[in-house]
Amino acid sequence: MNRRLRNALKGLMDPDIKRRRRAMEPFVRATFENFIRYLYRYLGNEVECEDVLEDVYADIWENAEHLRNVTNERELLRTVYLYYMRKRLREVYRRINRHLYLSQEDLKNLIAPDLGVLEILSQSELRQTLSQTLSRLKARERRAIELWMEGMSNRAIANELKTTVGAVKMLKFRTLLKLKNMLHNYYTED
Amino acid sequence: MSDTNREIQELMADYAGALRDGCIPVFLKSLTREESKRIASSREFWDATEMVRTLNSVGFADKAVRPDVSLFISRVDAKIVSRSKKSRASSPPPSRGLSSHPRKRAKTQRRRKTTIQDRKRD
Repeated sequence: MNRRLRNALKGLMDPDIKRRRRAMEPFVRATFENFIRYLYRYLGNEVECEDVLEDVYADIWENAEHLRNVTNERELLRTVYLYYMRKRLREVYRRINRHLYLSQEDLKNLIAPDLGVLEILSQSELRQTLSQTLSRLKARERRAIELWMEGMSNRAIANELKTTVGAVKMLKFRTLLKLKNMLHNYYTED
Repeated sequence: MSDTNREIQELMADYAGALRDGCIPVFLKSLTREESKRIASSREFWDATEMVRTLNSVGFADKAVRPDVSLFISRVDAKIVSRSKKSRASSPPPSRGLSSHPRKRAKTQRRRKTTIQDRKRD
């Protein structure tokens, strides 16, 4: 953890409100990129990410006690997710919940799940491992995932792979499960 | 009646598309009772969602438009100010002795009057 972030964290623990408020700016500057990218993983929407993050920072300002013993950036992200982000993420779609058939518990798990092995890795670690794992897939499976990550629709992928939309959906689903198992094994073996 | 409920791989594809396009509520609202049950009972679906989130983060989080940090900091600051105002408004005012409270003051005055009257009678 760099010195600036460490000092900002120390400032957030100060009992004086004004000092805590002053410490917020360096803290936001040091963590904004990481936090907003992390939230994007769950929401996929910039506007909602900003709104949630605004509340998360205000919550941290009100009570930063959970961050007292944080020693590195990964731990910081994990703690912020577990104690501040998750609560706010669960509130994002609470308003529409009464019109849904999905149970409250399933909605929670879909929007703000417990942390899995993959969800505590840093962006660079993830990118590196994912490229290694993708190279171990069959050519057709890899192509389907790569095209999807380029932003193509299922129909466009089906045209590219000369197959049906239904087959693409099935291929993607199977490949996602295969990727998940491969990544999970990779990290549990480590 | 034809079965219009989506299969689990179709639900997964639609969830992945919704997450990529940032329109999760549309996906949530599109779920029927049957599909919701199917999702709840499918271990594979939950495994795949973790992977979809990971791909979303690696593939699209960097391409997302970021707001200016300085502007964002001013938003956070405004939020903090509004919260501290709210907490100040909801907390009871600092006590300045009994005489500052109108109700209590009336009571004490009344009490004083009676004591004076009592003294006169005496």
